[in-house]
Amino acid sequence: MNRRDFFALTGTAALTLATKKASADEIPLKKEFVGVLTDTTRCIGCRACEVACAEANGLPVPDVENDNALEQPRTPSETQLTVVNRHNTDAGEVFVKQQCMHCWQPACTAACLTNAMYKTKDGPVIWRPDKCMGCRFCMVSCPFSIPKFEYHSWNPKVQKCTMCWERLQQGEKPACVQACPADALMFGMKRELMEIARVRIYRHPTKYVHHIYGEHEVGGTGWLYLSAVPFEQLGFRTDLGTTPYPDYTREFLYSVPIILFGLPALLLGMSSLTQNHEEEPDEGIHNE
Amino acid sequence: MESYSYVNIFETKGLEYLLLICFLVLFVVLVRYLSAPKAPANKPKT
Amino acid sequence: MSKQKTLSSEVRAFLKFLWSEMKPRGKALTPFNVISVPIMIAGLVILVIRFTKGLGAVTNLSQDFPWGFWIGFDVVTGVAFAGGAYLITFVVYVMRVEKYHSIARVTVLNGLLAYIFYAGALVLDLGRPWNIINPIIGNSFGYNSVLFLVSWHFLLYMITEFIEFSPAVAEWLGWPKVRKFLHSLTLAAVIFGITLSTLHQSGLGALFLLAKSKIHPLWYTEFIPILFFVSSIFAGLSMVIFEGTISHRVFKDRLEPGAHESFNKIIFGLAKGAAISMFVYYFFKALIFIHEGHWSMIRDAWGLWYLLEVVGLVLVPCFMFAYGVRHRSLGIIRTASVLTMLGIILNRLNISVIAFNWNAAVHYYPSWMEIVVTLMVISAEIWVFRWVVTRMPVFGPSREFAFTS
Ligand code: SF4
Ligand code: SF4
Repeated sequence: MNRRDFFALTGTAALTLATKKASADEIPLKKEFVGVLTDTTRCIGCRACEVACAEANGLPVPDVENDNALEQPRTPSETQLTVVNRHNTDAGEVFVKQQCMHCWQPACTAACLTNAMYKTKDGPVIWRPDKCMGCRFCMVSCPFSIPKFEYHSWNPKVQKCTMCWERLQQGEKPACVQACPADALMFGMKRELMEIARVRIYRHPTKYVHHIYGEHEVGGTGWLYLSAVPFEQLGFRTDLGTTPYPDYTREFLYSVPIILFGLPALLLGMSSLTQNHEEEPDEGIHNE
Repeated sequence: MESYSYVNIFETKGLEYLLLICFLVLFVVLVRYLSAPKAPANKPKT
Repeated sequence: MSKQKTLSSEVRAFLKFLWSEMKPRGKALTPFNVISVPIMIAGLVILVIRFTKGLGAVTNLSQDFPWGFWIGFDVVTGVAFAGGAYLITFVVYVMRVEKYHSIARVTVLNGLLAYIFYAGALVLDLGRPWNIINPIIGNSFGYNSVLFLVSWHFLLYMITEFIEFSPAVAEWLGWPKVRKFLHSLTLAAVIFGITLSTLHQSGLGALFLLAKSKIHPLWYTEFIPILFFVSSIFAGLSMVIFEGTISHRVFKDRLEPGAHESFNKIIFGLAKGAAISMFVYYFFKALIFIHEGHWSMIRDAWGLWYLLEVVGLVLVPCFMFAYGVRHRSLGIIRTASVLTMLGIILNRLNISVIAFNWNAAVHYYPSWMEIVVTLMVISAEIWVFRWVVTRMPVFGPSREFAFTS
């Protein structure tokens, strides 16, 4: 709590208005962030979401029937913004859909020096081609290694899930949520999704592990997961902590203006001290 | 799932202070070593 | 009318002078030229491919390793080595230790060129370099980004270093009045430059604070910025020793009589500074190591690698510097400076490339084309350096003394 209070006070590393609000819990949220709840116990591994995603984003559509892609673990790539992986766990086969987590205080937007990675006021994190200079710092910093770069293009894009930002503005749901036949994905306000997730856990306390991935991870994410087995078994990183990533550079960025104010004055003072010292005794003698 | 245990984040402080003392002592030694070049080598300046 | 004539003839004479200065001097077939020219041509060809086919065509970069040799070595390491400029200007212009005055110019020149070429190498690595104007002209300021800060500092620091160096340019062109004006800016530029250096040397480290989940815990610490700053001190000093030793051999004829002896004395002073700063740095490292309780980690290969960097290439050269100072041995000091530089290279590469995503299935290593381009950047820098020092008053006590005070 201490950290957060301090953060609210100084707000130096605050990224966008939106993330600032998210970190200062005492300020009432004017606009809520949206999110998606993934219930991995419901996912049947049909990969309809992959297909819908590719179609919505104009990327090569995977041949779900024949490509046997579930055999190997995959990560989202520059041509597939979301992938479904199969994990063999204590509870048998479990399928997990992976994509950008739409962090509440994203590392990628804190890293981006052109604001190309941008946390919209509604919550989805989007990438804006007219701003990006392709430095790939977002890729270095994202704790989930989500942004992907088109290395084989003279005019490369940084590809990542945008929660179908364009569709959301037209009042539609993300393409993957709409396509899911098993009701494994649910789109809504994160607050409501959290309630739904908790209700499911309380109703079936033995079915689910009592943890909602994304509630607090890296300061909370827009995308939430429910699971029947511990999240490590599903390939989730459980070592990321609950500190929002921008916090790691907060102290440094906070000290920058202090140094810029203080150091020149200090140096000037030192310089004038040595000057007097030198001028008074003798001109020519410098060597000890 | 979550359990609570007391985490002492200052566990290593004692060792750190020991290191600091070592450092200060050695630092004085180093500086003295550096600022007193061998007497004979100093005279025949080439 | 006659005035106009003299003006135009003056301009013509000036252009002629510039033109004659542009022409190369000295032997064409020196070993350095023979090696560097093919490298630079090859590098240019590779760059053409890089800008038409994309980064993937020439580099080994991958989704797991977005930053490779060009960032890790050219930019992050190169800038650390350029730290000599802010240190020497601090000692000469702020502390006014006249002993080091004779190397101030050449160090500033080195720093300036290092920033232009090595920090400039950043542009080669950008996927969408035409958008580089966005964070500069301000239609998209990402204030929240450490990289924003670092790139602005690069830019401003290049300008301040140019101002620091500009009196030499004015002397070369024979413009005493301009020189006087530029010289009056020196102190301000120096102070501003030191401040900027403090911030961007540490800022380069702060970039990696956001990669917390990816860097091996032996190297990740919240104190990376401080470590980067402190290590830039001895990185800069050993670079000055190393580079000075070489240029004093190569540019013997440009030196004033007696400069060689005075430079040897300077080396001892620099070595002293290096020894002390390395000692402090080593204990910083030890403190962090103890604080994080990494005892169990030094047993595997990563631990040995870590010990090689911290003990083998920091503590050992630190003692070598001290021994060299005490026993007045230039040879030991020079060896120590080379070891120190290796240690810096290793440290910077560890954080940015080697221990980054250390548990990835396929680890990155630079392609030969990335190395050729890096060598091209270095050769180009040396070419420009050579061009400048053979024309402008860079080495030794300059005419500066005649003008000031
Ligand atoms: S998961 Fe990565 S890319 Fe997505 S919002 Fe978080 S930091 Fe950004
Ligand atoms: S690659 Fe583009 S989006 Fe990513 S940090 Fe750099 S400028 Fe921002």
